[in-house]
Amino acid sequence: MKALLLLAALRFYRRHPWQLALAIAGVALGVAVHVGVSLANDSARRAFELSSEALVGRTTHRVLPVGDALPESLYAEIVTDLGVTAAAPVVEAEVELAVKPPQRARLLGIDPVKEPIVRSLVGLVPGGADEAFDLMTVRDAVLLPDALADELGIGDLGVDGERGTIAIDARIGGRVQALRPVGTVRGGSPDAELPLVADIATVQRLADRRGSLDRIDLRLDAATAARLAAALPAGATLVPAGRDPAFEQLTTAFHTNLTALGLLALVVGMFLIYSTMAFAIVQRRAAIGTMLAIGLARRELLLGVLGEALAIGAIATVIGLAFGHWLARGLVELMLDTISDLAFAARVSAASPSPWLYVGGAALGLGATLVAALGPALDASRGKPADVMQRSALERSSRARSRVAALAAPPVLGTGALLLAAAPSSLATAFAGLFCVLLSGALATPAATAALMRVLDAPAGRAFGLPGLLAVRGVTASLSRTGVAASALAVAVATVVGIGLMIASFRASVVRWLETTLTADLYVSLEGDEPVDALVASLRELPGVEGIGLTRVARLPTRYGELVLRAVTPGPEGFGLVLVASSQDALERLAREPSIALSEPFAYRQGLELGDRLVLPTSTGERAFPIVAIYRDYNAAGSAALMSLEQYRALWNDRAISSIGVHVADRARIDEVAARLAALVPRDRGRIVSTEGVVDVSLAVFDRTFKITEVLRLLAGSIAFLGVLSSALSIELERARERAVLRAVGLGPGGLAALTLAQTTLLGAAAGLAAVPMGSVLAALLVHVINRRSFGWTMSLEPDPRPVLVGIALAVGAAFLAGIYPASRARRVELGRALREE
Amino acid sequence: MEGETIFDGRVRLEKVCKAYGSTIVLNNVNFSAKRGEFVVIMGRSGSGKSTLLRLLGGLETPDAGSVEHGGVRLERMTEAERARFRRREIGFVFQFFNLIPTLTVAENIRLPLALNGIDGAEAGARVTALLAELGLEGTGDRFPEELSGGEQQRVAIARALAHAPGLVLADEPTGNLDLETAERVLGLLDDACRKHGATLVMATHSREVVGRADRVLTIRHGRLLPADAAEER
Repeated sequence: MKALLLLAALRFYRRHPWQLALAIAGVALGVAVHVGVSLANDSARRAFELSSEALVGRTTHRVLPVGDALPESLYAEIVTDLGVTAAAPVVEAEVELAVKPPQRARLLGIDPVKEPIVRSLVGLVPGGADEAFDLMTVRDAVLLPDALADELGIGDLGVDGERGTIAIDARIGGRVQALRPVGTVRGGSPDAELPLVADIATVQRLADRRGSLDRIDLRLDAATAARLAAALPAGATLVPAGRDPAFEQLTTAFHTNLTALGLLALVVGMFLIYSTMAFAIVQRRAAIGTMLAIGLARRELLLGVLGEALAIGAIATVIGLAFGHWLARGLVELMLDTISDLAFAARVSAASPSPWLYVGGAALGLGATLVAALGPALDASRGKPADVMQRSALERSSRARSRVAALAAPPVLGTGALLLAAAPSSLATAFAGLFCVLLSGALATPAATAALMRVLDAPAGRAFGLPGLLAVRGVTASLSRTGVAASALAVAVATVVGIGLMIASFRASVVRWLETTLTADLYVSLEGDEPVDALVASLRELPGVEGIGLTRVARLPTRYGELVLRAVTPGPEGFGLVLVASSQDALERLAREPSIALSEPFAYRQGLELGDRLVLPTSTGERAFPIVAIYRDYNAAGSAALMSLEQYRALWNDRAISSIGVHVADRARIDEVAARLAALVPRDRGRIVSTEGVVDVSLAVFDRTFKITEVLRLLAGSIAFLGVLSSALSIELERARERAVLRAVGLGPGGLAALTLAQTTLLGAAAGLAAVPMGSVLAALLVHVINRRSFGWTMSLEPDPRPVLVGIALAVGAAFLAGIYPASRARRVELGRALREE
Repeated sequence: MEGETIFDGRVRLEKVCKAYGSTIVLNNVNFSAKRGEFVVIMGRSGSGKSTLLRLLGGLETPDAGSVEHGGVRLERMTEAERARFRRREIGFVFQFFNLIPTLTVAENIRLPLALNGIDGAEAGARVTALLAELGLEGTGDRFPEELSGGEQQRVAIARALAHAPGLVLADEPTGNLDLETAERVLGLLDDACRKHGATLVMATHSREVVGRADRVLTIRHGRLLPADAAEER
């Protein structure tokens, strides 16, 4: 019997190859998107981990500067006076290599003798001792990462003859200087993204950093660490080595968001599997009913159907894994671009993902197929043979089931609300709540579609006569097909609408934030840590300048992780803060007394509120500052605080300026002022950018960040499109005789095609309309819950009609396109055969 | 009614051949019917009765020969032209009723009228009259699945006659009904066609029809013969 069942199934799919193809395509796309996103996620995560590990090495602690750089003498004190020998000094500089295309990289200045104590960057190089010697003796010598050396086509740097003979131009500290590769640098893993390495003295000279250090890496036990921490002078602080928790949280949130999108694609894919399996069974209902009638055991039938689903799932999963592997290569680049934009200055390249993800993807694909096929399989095996054979019985049960599903929607929605309320800061429960919203929408969609068609019945009849009625009622008459397709399409379109609304809201908020924050017309971005009092004085006197604002950006090692402290002397238009919460006279207090304003994401992550105190290391030791305001900040790192420059200078021994905001008296003459500024600021000391330039770059980064969601939306939309196509083809096949009768009574081929198209388009419109409330709730959750819990950002939900219109147009367009092929088949229906088959 | 009626109820097949694959179903068949005539085509299952009706209705085209309706050659028309011709001139009654499940009884009957551009009060009046004529009063707002087989076939007859076609083609119209219901349905179909002046060509196994028909033909081995001649053979 099993063989006969198998044979019957095989022959069915041989006669309906498109159905098999659609089932495979649906599962494969779902698996591919999920696997693609998982692989890309893992690859990006591992790339950052490996790069971080390569740089952290065996380091346990770091001495970091508070405010200004560390004096080189501190290193000598630590080693000689305090007796800590496992210490290695480090200076870092950013370089732009003049290769094609230009590449940004980090240049790490180390002591080649002390380096093996804390890291392996030099020790692992073949003939490492020679290279360490070369680093110290060859002028401007550097070690290149293996991958970069290969990319630049530089030969075997291990051969004595080539060492130091090749020069690579690089911009360091505003000047172009020649670097001479003398060897390559290797980390513990081939995937680690490594810096260029040079002797510390070389980097200090090239970057004009003589006598200063960025940090001292150490290997300490707990007791020595405590002793050292107590002994360190003001202006230096000891912190455990490791990654920035804020960055950890940012990347984790980013990964979680993408994983959720990947899972969403799989869920939409499951709809397609469900509908395809249901169609395949329904189309064979007469045969299945007959088999049951002549004595086929229900268990055998159930196992047979599940086996069939498993076979389809297996083929589709293999294809999905291959496609996912290919997809991951594109996604990981987008992902790394985004994370680099958000958190890193230098690029990080992809790492090999864990092979277990393929196994997980395969299990998920097969599992999803089985779960999706279980419903139709149980339906077929539990039904009465006579009912199984009757289509009307199926449609009656579908209508009843759609009503039950609609009744189940509110409790599911309620569960989602409970999940959201139960754990107010958990991202996982936020996504679970979000999935509940989508699920409740999907459950309600078939009944909503039927209700909409009932509403449209009379108007369609009045407007288009019986063909109009046929189109409208046809959607409800095949609810067993159209219901699932409408749900899949509605979920996909709701995602498009929801993410579209969220991005539109986010973008509008960012634009408003930039407009408020960037109060000046031109910005002079300065390099180096030297005071620029003379330049500031000259700028104030420059013709056309109304006023200036000064900003010093300091990265402080704090007990909360690294904090970006912005010390500001506001220009004529004030601090330019969008305050989320503030005490009375907050801005006056900020200008007058040692107090601080916190960025919203940092305050959210640390659980700090107005009136709390923030402890910061100053040049004279730790000090607690009252928090007088919390301001909106869409800077990705988000760990920022702001205080007045005057207060900062009093507490940190740092008179340098990072940027000067120039307010122009007459905006029409902004170019003239920019030209005067350019003449005043030496090229190697700073860059001049307009506010428009900053806004453009910021929005370009913003748009790039959300590019990946566009890809995933497109894929989810494709799966939903396949769902409608599959449904329309099934309806076309099932109702061939009904269509033939219509043709027999005189409906022309064009009329029949129009009827098919009208039905799929109506289905799309119903799904699109159902998606609007779902998408709006989704957007509200993304804006007010997911973004808040992921990044600590708040924003307002913009009532932008465009994403909604795009969503509806997508639903109707996808359904219309999906209807074209079935419509053309309907045109070509062989009347004789269709009627003969009765 | 939309367009000019060119068909007067006369129908003629001349030297028609039709094969499905290697199976020859009709071989050099000649057939004609006069306006208002009731012709019964008999024959075993698979003998080609339904094929003959489909050729007469322009649902299929012959491999050879011609199908003429009042001098108009159906096989020379495009598919769209044939659809328009059927819409105006032909009514179909099928064994399995083939009512549109999503339309009510009244809407099913109105369907050919709507396709011919007849709507509003005129269509309503014709539907009401047909419902009464076929004993279907009170069923107009019901859906086909709510009716018995006999009722469904009466709705199919009403649909076939609604637009006053010159030719009604009935393919085993009683094949799915019990004897008593079949007899009633046959009577109604015959009476209605005669009342409306439509030519009725019916394919059937049923010998009960013979007494009502003007002429009875039998298909055997792909050829169409007078029933008596066929029996003699």
